[in-house]
Amino acid sequence: MTGFDDTLQVIGDIQSSASLEQVCGNLLVYTSRLGLDHVMAGIVPDEFAFASRPAATILFAKWPQGWMDRYIKKNYVLDDPVVLQALIDTSPFSWTDAASRFAHSNSSGRVIGDATEFRLCDGFALPLSTLEGAMILVSLGGEGFAASPKERGALALVTAYAAGRALQIYGAAPRREPPRLTGREAECLRWAAVGKSEWEISQILGISEHTAERHLLNAKLRLGAANRVQAVAEAIRLGLIA
Amino acid sequence: MILALTTQELRAEPELWTSVHSLRHEIFVDEMGWEEIRRPDSLELDQFDHDDAVHHLAIRNGALAGYQRMLPTTRPFLLSEVLTDLCEGPPPSAPSIWELTRYAVAKPWREGRRGVSSVGSELIAGFVEWGLARGVDQVIIEFEPMWVLRALQLHFLARPLGFQRTYGRQQVVATLLKFDAETLDVVRHYRGETEPVLASNRGQNAFRRAS
Repeated sequence: MTGFDDTLQVIGDIQSSASLEQVCGNLLVYTSRLGLDHVMAGIVPDEFAFASRPAATILFAKWPQGWMDRYIKKNYVLDDPVVLQALIDTSPFSWTDAASRFAHSNSSGRVIGDATEFRLCDGFALPLSTLEGAMILVSLGGEGFAASPKERGALALVTAYAAGRALQIYGAAPRREPPRLTGREAECLRWAAVGKSEWEISQILGISEHTAERHLLNAKLRLGAANRVQAVAEAIRLGLIA
Repeated sequence: MILALTTQELRAEPELWTSVHSLRHEIFVDEMGWEEIRRPDSLELDQFDHDDAVHHLAIRNGALAGYQRMLPTTRPFLLSEVLTDLCEGPPPSAPSIWELTRYAVAKPWREGRRGVSSVGSELIAGFVEWGLARGVDQVIIEFEPMWVLRALQLHFLARPLGFQRTYGRQQVVATLLKFDAETLDVVRHYRGETEPVLASNRGQNAFRRAS
């Protein structure tokens, strides 16, 4: 079932996909054989776990609509064990693993319990980090997920190719709306523009160095910049910082 | 700056030679847990450090900041001899295909938590430049599946050569990466640097003469 030629074939199909929808479709053709017929792939900002959390960007998704609505309405993302696990460790994992890890939390239990109503009983998630250090989280779900360790390996590989192709397409597409920065991000970038280091910025703004680094990373991601210098230039061009 | 040195040229620089092999030991044995290559002198060295190997050294402030070793696939290489279970079918072999091994960034030069450091991306720019200049347009790399995403971000054409396996503390998958001038543009754009990274003098020229 997961012969190597099969795997190469689906990876070829994924790489020749012309749209995010096609990437999604080709991935699901492969994963549905393992009992995974739904998927959500998104770019998760590093700040996700914080209260001021910016929204994740969805790359592609085939998710039950009712579940999506409820997930957003009840703000489940903060309690979703799949997201929590992905923020801790970048190895692939099954939803069951993540759920048992966060079993002490009632709210996490409720997210999983609710998901089963929509026939999302178990799944497989693959956190990947981009060149820029952002996280891409691909979460696949279904009614009867079953895979041998070898199949999981192949699944992780195919999923990584799907995420890569999706990023290529996403990166090439014109952005729907111009990027915006939070106050703190703009502030950090303004100091970076005059040559201050992360440590210096942290001292000036009275925040931790790690937080300053986060703000700068997020600013860079929002601006689609390859590096800090580009982020500054882009922010000035867009009039986001003076 | 990246120095491309043959094994012979590297041996002629005892200080660099020691830095290279101790960095390799530090990263691959101590950090990644490849116990089978542990050596009492803490210098990692194997049968592939032969005369046809090319060593890429990323130099920062006069010191070794990163490293990768290029092996021709026209004679035995890691995938064909040692990591055979990573390859389904016969391993690719041609003058235009080299194997990239022992990719390493010294600890002080890693930035941030998850992204690729500037030394790391310089090594990537280095092997692409080096390859394009000498008719090499494909490399075989045994890397963590995470790198598939990054390779695609940089517009390499990627194809797995087998399934992934666990080595030491890592998942590893053998991958064939094909590149061209456009890949180099994307890598340079990502780095925000348009200048070549390969040292134009000694290393490269000496290597051209040697080949």
